[in-house]
Amino acid sequence: MEHGNYVHSLLDGVAPDWVPGWAVVVSTAAVGVALLIAFVAVLAMFSVWLERKVSGHIQCRYGPMYVGGWHGWAQSLADALKLLMKEDLVPIGADRVLFVVAPALVLGSIFGALVAFPFTPGFFFADIDLGIFFILGMSALTTIGVVMAGWASNSKWSLYGAMREAAQVVAYEIPLGISLLVPLMVAGTFNLLEASQMQAGWFGMKWLVFQNPFMIPAAILFFTAALAETKRAPFDLPEAESELVAGFMTEYSGLRWSFFFMEEYAAMFLMSLVAAVFFFGGFESPFTHLAQRAFVGETAAVADLPLLYQLTAGVVLFAKALFGVFVMMWLRWTLPRLRIDQVMTMGYKYLTPLALACVLAAGTWEAIF
Amino acid sequence: MDFKGIHDRLRALSAPGLIGADEPRRPDPADKKDKGRYGVAFVRVEAARIVEFLTLCRDDERLAFDLLVDLTATDPAADDENLWVGYQLLSTTQHQRLAIKVTLPKAEPAIESAAAVHRAAQWHERECAEMFGITFLNHPDPRNILLPDDWVGHPLRKDYVFPKEYRGISCE
Amino acid sequence: MSEATTQQHGNITLREERVLPSGEREFMLDVRTSDLEVNMGPQHPATHGVMRILIRTDGELVTGAQPHLGYLHRCAEKIGENVEWLQYLPYTDRYDYLAAMNNNLGYSMAVEALMPMEIPRRAEMIRVICAELNRIGSHLIMFGTYGMDLGAFTPFLYAFREREWMMALFEKICGARLTYSYIRIGGVFNDAPPGWLQEVEHFCDVFEEKHKEYVDLLMLNHIFVKRTAHVGVIRPDLGLDFGLTGPMLRASGIDFDLRRDMPYSVYGEMAAEGAFRVVTGRGEKGTLGDCWDRFYVRVMEMIESIKIVRWCLANIEDGPVIGDVPKVLKVPPGEAYVGIENPRGELGHYVVSDGGKVAKRCRVRGPSFCNLAVLEAIMPGTLLADSIAIIGSTDVVIGETDR
Repeated sequence: MEHGNYVHSLLDGVAPDWVPGWAVVVSTAAVGVALLIAFVAVLAMFSVWLERKVSGHIQCRYGPMYVGGWHGWAQSLADALKLLMKEDLVPIGADRVLFVVAPALVLGSIFGALVAFPFTPGFFFADIDLGIFFILGMSALTTIGVVMAGWASNSKWSLYGAMREAAQVVAYEIPLGISLLVPLMVAGTFNLLEASQMQAGWFGMKWLVFQNPFMIPAAILFFTAALAETKRAPFDLPEAESELVAGFMTEYSGLRWSFFFMEEYAAMFLMSLVAAVFFFGGFESPFTHLAQRAFVGETAAVADLPLLYQLTAGVVLFAKALFGVFVMMWLRWTLPRLRIDQVMTMGYKYLTPLALACVLAAGTWEAIF
Repeated sequence: MDFKGIHDRLRALSAPGLIGADEPRRPDPADKKDKGRYGVAFVRVEAARIVEFLTLCRDDERLAFDLLVDLTATDPAADDENLWVGYQLLSTTQHQRLAIKVTLPKAEPAIESAAAVHRAAQWHERECAEMFGITFLNHPDPRNILLPDDWVGHPLRKDYVFPKEYRGISCE
Repeated sequence: MSEATTQQHGNITLREERVLPSGEREFMLDVRTSDLEVNMGPQHPATHGVMRILIRTDGELVTGAQPHLGYLHRCAEKIGENVEWLQYLPYTDRYDYLAAMNNNLGYSMAVEALMPMEIPRRAEMIRVICAELNRIGSHLIMFGTYGMDLGAFTPFLYAFREREWMMALFEKICGARLTYSYIRIGGVFNDAPPGWLQEVEHFCDVFEEKHKEYVDLLMLNHIFVKRTAHVGVIRPDLGLDFGLTGPMLRASGIDFDLRRDMPYSVYGEMAAEGAFRVVTGRGEKGTLGDCWDRFYVRVMEMIESIKIVRWCLANIEDGPVIGDVPKVLKVPPGEAYVGIENPRGELGHYVVSDGGKVAKRCRVRGPSFCNLAVLEAIMPGTLLADSIAIIGSTDVVIGETDR
């Protein structure tokens, strides 16, 4: 049977007759989940290695060099193995249920957000019309997990981290969403694939960021708010290393801690992906334009796009997202940390009015031109 | 001013409690046993009037000793019946120092706290109290500072005996 | 109207205000929230050693701070009464382990005050070079760790780049990197190896260039200024009352430096020639006496130390490096207090001798001990995140606080 989803079709073709339809659907979903988990795990491990190399070079040193040979590429694997082998501790007096659920919730919400992403023009887990809306909503769920973790740890320092996190995220959700309104207005769609596709043109450089002069401030605002959402420096109070040991993550160790860690890098990647899709062209670039010319005809349906073109487009998108991640890391190792009241002042008194002004101005520009 | 000038000024102001001064001197060539007294000069003050003395040192415009640099005690010997309490004053405006020595009887070492004159004295006096057993009267916060709250004995006294154990941990 | 009744349920007070016409009773709820007592330390990334501070907070606002000391008390003063004069020198390295040369200098000068001897001139010059280089090293650590406390991780490694060079210089001259026991009673232990003075000169040249990096990267960084300006203000009169000395006092605007105003060793000649100036806080970025001023004083003092080293390098001559000091030293009877300018303030040694081989009293006045007391007065009323900035700006070394 032919289904829109390639994996579903494959499994349906392969499964014997006595397997009911819903079982095939469930196994399709299971395959998808496994793929996503694998992707996020590999992404997290790569990001950790990248962070250590970037921080090392900024600090006049090398970073990992030994494990695995070339520039210590297997360092993350070694660390992951170590984390898996650690003792699973739940502190005395900690709320057991919340303590265990918190990291799962935090990582799960980021997984959910990644589900809505098109990884290549033909491959995605779910084509959601309300794409960006869904992503923003899911990524906001991480806050609940963080507050849960801080409270359930039965430690005053963790509680501080959780309180700061809740205040910070609530403050920066507003400019995050409002600054996204600017590209949404220009693009006219919530769907990520469509938004990416409408940026084809000008030899692959008709990016949304060039289509309206107020997109550039909107991009900067979005990036700043994204830094605050993902708890990266200079907004890394919730996990302020030198102040609160590790903030809300203090009492976690081993696998549970690695969930928080994975969530942080997955969230960074997610925000960079959103920025890449809605500001910086998504799949479109001169490379994809050339690949399109070479491999694809004019009227190819989305599901039949040749593999090479899809690969090129996917690589381009990942490269843009990775660059965003690199800039976030660069900022972390350069700038000191802002204090919580300065963070809140910046969020409410500066970023939100600026974002609103941006939207107004961009809308006026769109209406006139 | 040098020490002579400061001492003269103190005498001119009839500083309360001033007993005398002790200045370094060379060994007396006539006396073979005399090795002399080296080092730095200091004034002797009565224990009962120390707070007034310090207040005068701080408030007089020629003395102007605005910093209490150090407040410490000395146990001269196990068989000596006195303890010494030493105050070191410094003037940031007049660029001069003054060393003060007060003698207290070992049997009942009690002296008025200088915390009212210089808040710097608070922590120094806490240390003296726990190390020597001196009672500082009217001290705002008399707790142990370096030693645990339940330490027994006064370590810096010459007749101090080290404990064999503390809370079950052997001190051998 | 019934009279008000009060019920207490744990933290909640219920006061019956009145009875409504309908017969319902109206209550006022009064929830008494208690202050959170948080323990900072003894193990904490930002307390510069093993120190415990009990902070009482109301949310993020600090309402009380009480330092608890003694975790690193190693009975240095008692040991001073039990070992010989020369044997005590390694113990002096270990109170302020970041500025060991200065500690050695303080102790040696105190004992020399009791002895009628003259220190050779070359020894004095080398002493000052080593002390000032160590001052730079100590301030570099303050610079790096203060940045780290506030979240800027990179300046720490840049500072350590220079500090490694400084420690290599010390290793060449005395064999040790951190605790030197090099400045001895009567002079210094041995002469500088050939080429050492030239390398020090080269270090000065390179350091002056790198210093501009430090100023741009951290001191003038907008976020850093926002975190430290107007925070932890110590008024000059409060500073004097608490017996603060060194950069802590100079940052509040009081122009006093022992090296210039009550000079010892060769600092007198230098001060007369105006070879270096004393850096005081001016309230440039915020209030006079705030954390930024304390940071500013220490960072700019590093350049003044370079000037002092250059003066010594220009004026040093050949000669002996240690006076005639017997192996078993019997210090003549007497007592002396000598205070010198340590990177953290005035390091004072009060030594009492009865003419024997062992001191009768060896009191150490550690500047960090006195500087720490001011926390009880300035921390209440600040935010918890500010408390980190304030503690870092006092630049305490617990080895010196506890001895």
